[in-house]
Amino acid sequence: MERTLRSYLLPTLAYFLLLEAMLAAALLYWPNFEENVGALKAMAPIDLLKEMVDTLAQGGIEAYVTGQHFFKGCNTLGTAAAVLFSAGAVAGEVHRGTFEIWIARPFSRRRLLLERWVTGALAVCVPIFLTTLTVPWLLSFVDTQVPLQPLLLCCVRQSAFLLCIYSLTFLFSTVFDTPMGIALSMLFATSMAFAIYLVKVVTHWSIYRLTDIEVFMKIMDRGELDWSRLGPMIALSGVLLLVSLRTFARKVP
Amino acid sequence: MTTSKPHERPPCEETTPRSGSPQSVRIRGLSRSFGQKLALAPLDLDVPAGEITGLLGPNGSGKSTLMRCLLGLVRADSGEAWVDGVRLRGDGREVRARSTFAPGEFALYGQMRADRQLDWLLAGRDREAHERAHALANELELPMQEPVHAFSHGMKRQLLFAAAMGPRVAVRILDEISEGLDPAKRGLVLERLRDDVKQGTAVLLSSHHLGEVQRICDSMVFMRGGHLLSDQNTRTVLDHSRRLVRLQFAPSTDLARLEAVARAAGAVDMSGPAENLLLHLDDQDPRRALTAIFSNSDLPSPLRIEYGQPSLEELYRELYGEDAC
Repeated sequence: MERTLRSYLLPTLAYFLLLEAMLAAALLYWPNFEENVGALKAMAPIDLLKEMVDTLAQGGIEAYVTGQHFFKGCNTLGTAAAVLFSAGAVAGEVHRGTFEIWIARPFSRRRLLLERWVTGALAVCVPIFLTTLTVPWLLSFVDTQVPLQPLLLCCVRQSAFLLCIYSLTFLFSTVFDTPMGIALSMLFATSMAFAIYLVKVVTHWSIYRLTDIEVFMKIMDRGELDWSRLGPMIALSGVLLLVSLRTFARKVP
Repeated sequence: MTTSKPHERPPCEETTPRSGSPQSVRIRGLSRSFGQKLALAPLDLDVPAGEITGLLGPNGSGKSTLMRCLLGLVRADSGEAWVDGVRLRGDGREVRARSTFAPGEFALYGQMRADRQLDWLLAGRDREAHERAHALANELELPMQEPVHAFSHGMKRQLLFAAAMGPRVAVRILDEISEGLDPAKRGLVLERLRDDVKQGTAVLLSSHHLGEVQRICDSMVFMRGGHLLSDQNTRTVLDHSRRLVRLQFAPSTDLARLEAVARAAGAVDMSGPAENLLLHLDDQDPRRALTAIFSNSDLPSPLRIEYGQPSLEELYRELYGEDAC
């Protein structure tokens, strides 16, 4: 466990700092954005981006914060973290040749895998919450505020979404033996999914519809989570973890 | 060591061995296939406490698969096994808690310092195990403050050996543990292994180094193609090897005539070409057969005679048709 924690520590810290830097840059830009929203809309090259700028303008600071932090920051960096933190979880051990000494110790395979899954999941999700907690402090520099509680609910939604990507990649890591191949495939697939979000005719096919500005604005407005979407996302992660456990139990050195 | 053959009775009829019983490892009908490939045919094997059992065979003979199945690292298709009285079940955690294992093919975490790597290998063991392992690593003069990537292959083996020797367990399963070690370190490793066995530990040792096996093993198990070929104690194996005489004749030698003369003088079998002929005698005295061959005027004198080597190599060659180390 100690080694697992240590191996995740630096990447998690880097991910947190990047996320925080993106958030700080975006929030400190808010007065300029508010002032130039019309020009920004005119500059937007595609209709969907124009609509997005409209949504941000109408939603005010709340839409801006959720759009910048969750839709842009967490969906991009968070997805990369979810993929990179899980691709090597098991496949990395096989690839390095350390798989056998890892499982030969007197621990059950279930414990070994759960330990790794939980550590990676925390590494993906905790920085989202931590950076979100700094939002009120950052907004104080531009003399505005956003209620923290609905923002934390948005964190739950975002984390559940990223856990699905994390758990799917984790499952691939228990099945296949090349972490680089798994990571590149997942990053390609998620990039494609993000790209099609911006194409109007197919945008509804993108998984990032589950974590876009509209979704987060509903959470901010209602102050509660939409369990009809959140529940299945959590259940999917659970199922993927169970399949991973089963696959890992049968994995041969 | 007891009989070794495909199991003939349901393993559940066996009496479960108890801790401290003479048989620290008991295997009954353990088998494993990978797809169509048979990696381990159903086999029975007992490894007694206080003895080193050598596991011999060429690459792909099933030695590593047997070890992995025994530890639950690879699930057996059939059969049962007990280690220190505990039956192998599930993922084998209970069995691994009562044994230590040093795999034959392995890598370590290169960036990790050797002392931390050793502690990591011993995770789940008691403090005493850590202390013993570190003491042994120091005795082996390993630079424990260095990262493991600075270690040679032999040094990594020694680190793994130290980890395998740390815990006080009933069974140690060591796969090619001395491979890549210099003679001095190999001697020390084997000496420590011998000391450990005197405390009553059972060791299952896989090796390609026949000199080493001959030197320290009390029993030997020969495997090929997943099958257990022979399971004898070392004295029996060496006694058998002393019944072998290797002869070299000119290629034109009349082998039929030679065989008739040899058989009449106590040879029970003759194999190989004239340049590398192997006589199997009915006892350990080759004089009668050699005298008969020398005194027969129809036969040429042999160009070379080999006898009396403590020739495990001969036996290995006889069993596998290839040379070991």
